[in-house]
Amino acid sequence: MYFRPTTIDEAIGALASQGGRILAGGTDFFATQGDRPVLGPVLDISAIDALKGIRVEADQIRIGACATWSEVIAADLPPAFDALKAAAAEVGGWQIQNLGTIAGNLCNASPAADGVPPLLALDAAIELAGPAGTRRLPLDQFILGPRRTALAPGEMVVAILVPRRFEDARSHFMKLGGRRYLVISIVMVAAQVALDLQGRVAGARVAVGSCSAVACRLPALERALLGVAAGAGLAGLVRTEHLAPLRPIDDVRATALYRLEAAQTLIGRALDACLSEPAHA
Amino acid sequence: MIPITTASRVDGRLKVTGGARYAAEFAPAQDNVLHAVLVQSTIAAGRVASIDTARAKQVPGVVAIMTHENAPRIDLGKAGDMTPGFPLLQDDRVMFNGQHLAVAIATSFEAAQQAAQLVELHYNRDEATLLMSDNPTGTSVPQRFRNGMRPPASTRGTPQASFDAAAVKIDQIYRTPIEHHNPMEPHATLAEWQGDRLLVHNASQSVFGNRKALAGFFGLPEDNVRIVSPFVGGGFGSKGVSWPHITLAAMAAKLVGQPVKLVLTRRQMFTSNGYRPKTVQHVRLGADRDGRLTAVLHDGISQNSAYGEFSEPVGLASEMLYSCPNVAVTHRLSKVNQGLPTFMRAPGEASGVYALESAMDELAWALGMDPIELRLKNYADRDEHEDKPFSSKTLRACYEQGAAAFDWKRRVAQPRSMRDGRLLIGLGMATATYPVNRSEAAAKVRLQADGTAIVRCGSQDIGTGTYTVMAQLVGEHLGLPLDRVRAELGDTALPQAPVSGGSQSVASISPAIREACLAVRAQTLQLAAGDPASPLHGLDPEELDVADGRILQSAEKSRGETYQALLARQGRAAIEADGSAKPGEEKQKFSMHSFGAQFVEVAVDPDLGEVRVRRHVGAFAAGRIMNAKTGRSQMIGGIVFGMGMALTEATEVDPRSGRVTNATMADYLVPVHLDVPEIEVIMVAEQDDAVNPLGAKGIGELPTVGTAAAIANAVYHATGQRIRDLPIRPDKLIDGLSI
Ligand SMILES: Cc1cc2nc3c(=O)[nH]c(=O)nc-3n(C[C@H](O)[C@H](O)[C@H](O)COP(=O)(O)OP(=O)(O)OC[C@H]3O[C@@H](n4cnc5c(N)ncnc54)[C@H](O)[C@@H]3O)c2cc1C
Repeated sequence: MYFRPTTIDEAIGALASQGGRILAGGTDFFATQGDRPVLGPVLDISAIDALKGIRVEADQIRIGACATWSEVIAADLPPAFDALKAAAAEVGGWQIQNLGTIAGNLCNASPAADGVPPLLALDAAIELAGPAGTRRLPLDQFILGPRRTALAPGEMVVAILVPRRFEDARSHFMKLGGRRYLVISIVMVAAQVALDLQGRVAGARVAVGSCSAVACRLPALERALLGVAAGAGLAGLVRTEHLAPLRPIDDVRATALYRLEAAQTLIGRALDACLSEPAHA
Repeated sequence: MIPITTASRVDGRLKVTGGARYAAEFAPAQDNVLHAVLVQSTIAAGRVASIDTARAKQVPGVVAIMTHENAPRIDLGKAGDMTPGFPLLQDDRVMFNGQHLAVAIATSFEAAQQAAQLVELHYNRDEATLLMSDNPTGTSVPQRFRNGMRPPASTRGTPQASFDAAAVKIDQIYRTPIEHHNPMEPHATLAEWQGDRLLVHNASQSVFGNRKALAGFFGLPEDNVRIVSPFVGGGFGSKGVSWPHITLAAMAAKLVGQPVKLVLTRRQMFTSNGYRPKTVQHVRLGADRDGRLTAVLHDGISQNSAYGEFSEPVGLASEMLYSCPNVAVTHRLSKVNQGLPTFMRAPGEASGVYALESAMDELAWALGMDPIELRLKNYADRDEHEDKPFSSKTLRACYEQGAAAFDWKRRVAQPRSMRDGRLLIGLGMATATYPVNRSEAAAKVRLQADGTAIVRCGSQDIGTGTYTVMAQLVGEHLGLPLDRVRAELGDTALPQAPVSGGSQSVASISPAIREACLAVRAQTLQLAAGDPASPLHGLDPEELDVADGRILQSAEKSRGETYQALLARQGRAAIEADGSAKPGEEKQKFSMHSFGAQFVEVAVDPDLGEVRVRRHVGAFAAGRIMNAKTGRSQMIGGIVFGMGMALTEATEVDPRSGRVTNATMADYLVPVHLDVPEIEVIMVAEQDDAVNPLGAKGIGELPTVGTAAAIANAVYHATGQRIRDLPIRPDKLIDGLSI
């Protein structure tokens, strides 16, 4: 059974009456399927207009559940989104970026999902719709573990919402993989830095992926950077103890130890890149 | 003499427009194909205690579940030496994780997939051996090394004593991992029985090898089996022997009495069609203070399966590459519960030369000598192992031209001394060598009344350009533009040709095609000269030539006529001739090898251990290059293959279960475009009149050889870190760098 509704209500209705798995761009859906056939109903949400596009609203930026990586790259967004754009440009290749959605990336809940660190750094929230209406969850309460989200039965993601709080902060994303691109991340880092008029750090947000079951922010580092004069660079301030929230594992891609060392290096580089790069208008 | 051409692929348009049909895209004449999906073992050793197919059979559309209990019995004795006789559902043994244990057959692919999931297997487990031996203990000597054509060990002089006495010594162990070929096209077979005749469309590097295997298994005359394989999306060795899925498809078709299609999934391509085995290589080099080699010892152990034998011939290059009076080489096998390894692009040389040329680099450092100088000092002017002259060897020019193009001079000898910002820069080089192979082949050429020609030869085009070279040869010899020549290959209904392996296709089939062309040409000239109505009447055929689709007088080119005119007047539909050719005495008289030199620049990020190849120059002398364009692209491809070997490719096996843990293209990392920098290929001029009538030595494998060593040597130069365990992943490098 393959269902392709055109409105959110129809989709919610279908989920309630027959259930089914949601299909957006399908780039994770089919890859996860492996050698098994697709059984059971499929709900294709790609024809629902209300889920499309990226909109700048009064106090938030709304990324529709069907917005693709290519749309993020092309959208006119403030400098704080540069990290998300850079991540978008590193997801797969062009074909994947044209099909894959940011929401799908979050719902798939891979520890290596490249969209998560930049959106954590942006304090993003997730808007969910279900039989009981809509609700909103901060991103770090939406992704609960590897392949686990807070989606309740019958619920779907409608949009990703980013508050318009630190729009002028500069941001940067760095990804390390076993080859130059088209690769599952060994480590990825999103950093965002806002400076005050004296060149001191007014706000810093750093998130690291692929080094724990769910990507996470580094609050101790963010606090340590507050008020620091950025002139001499920030990389030197990153300490091993700031990485305490990370719990990397050994796997086929790299050792845990390497991940930690690489994370520390990349965090420093991403922070400094936020200082050196001119903000895009 | 045939000039070097740069013709584009004659099948290029078909490929880019989707018109080229690959094995899985064929369908039987009646629309009655069934789909087969493999069920694989989840344990590495034991026996199948019972199989419950009840749930699987309930899936709508399922026709049969083939297991060792109901599979047709086949004859394992006559399929040919190279054909794996296991796992073919003839008994209940389980010898590796991922082994085929059942085949679900259904009217749709999805139904077969679902049924395959529902087959329940129960095992009696045995203790599995999953780790290969690191040292000779527990290993064995190959019984059929190089198909029984060579001894697995050799010694000349007094290697051990000379090594012990050497002034300068290198004594190291080098390791290479399991690698999988991963051609883009998955293996696919469509098998159709017509009475006691079997028609098979197969993704194949050897249609005649497949025919022999299937005829042997099913007890049929070879003429009753036809294998068709017009296009192959890469093979790299994995489509060379007749892997079990081919036979299983034919068995399934026999069981259900309908055509069956079986396509391997990418995941299954890590357990069903061989791999480059893991090796542990102990290399010892002894030299005097001037850098002259006094001892070369190369002891290789390669991983083997628990049921068949494949031995990676890592030491063969060490026997002949350098001049040295005292050389010993051994090959041993370590059996583990894994599938059978096989040939993979430059089998033996790719892994073995990585070890030898890394050791040579280490020796150069130990001596304080330039790596090229060390190699020139030990240059072998003849093959000291076989004690024969080389048919040709132009390696000196490869070093020279490669070094000049690469600007080797700028290299500052001291490791860690070249930088670009925070990046460490390293330059490295290595030698490449690969033997020249050739087998018997036949061909048929037909010049038709409409002025076009057809060339038929049962070879394969695995992306290498065989179609193009075949058409080109006919074009040259019959004076026809390429668009008037049609090449047919990949079919056992055509004249017999060998496996597309060992870089031998062009060297084997070209002389046969040439012979057929010359016969057609001679007949045609004869006809013209003898035809009173021809403008060429009365001339000696010796005075005639062919060009632009015409027969003409060499001295007076305007005098002549078209093929069409001649054949029309003669009332002939075509002029046809066969050609065949096989190797002669040359192998007894000469040692025949191609050679090359690889030069690499890497940049290493000292904080992350990331290695990027920035530039690669490969200079190769491989006799006559038949087509500079397809040849260049093969050489670039070979180098890229070596880059993957050096930096990213390794198949990981869970040491507890024997399961491959990275059986996807997402985690088995082949290089992608951004990993591949500018690659400069220099085709060093070389004339070789001995190897074969065309003087072409084969180019498919040579450029892979030495690439990994050159990269490892460059990484050492950049970082001072020697990685003796491929691939050179960042985490291996960083441990040493951060100290
Ligand atoms: C070749 C290749 C390369 C890739 N490279 C990268 C990479 O570099 N980095 C990276 O992070 N990812 C990568 N991916 C993974 C994938 O492309 C991304 O995660 C993508 O963003 C997923 O989006 P999608 O729209 O295709 O999701 P789908 O595959 O359609 O869905 C993914 C999952 O989310 C669920 N879902 C989707 N939308 C919703 C919704 N609105 N509400 C509830 N559930 C929903 C689906 O049910 C499914 O479980 C790659 C994939 C491929 C095939």
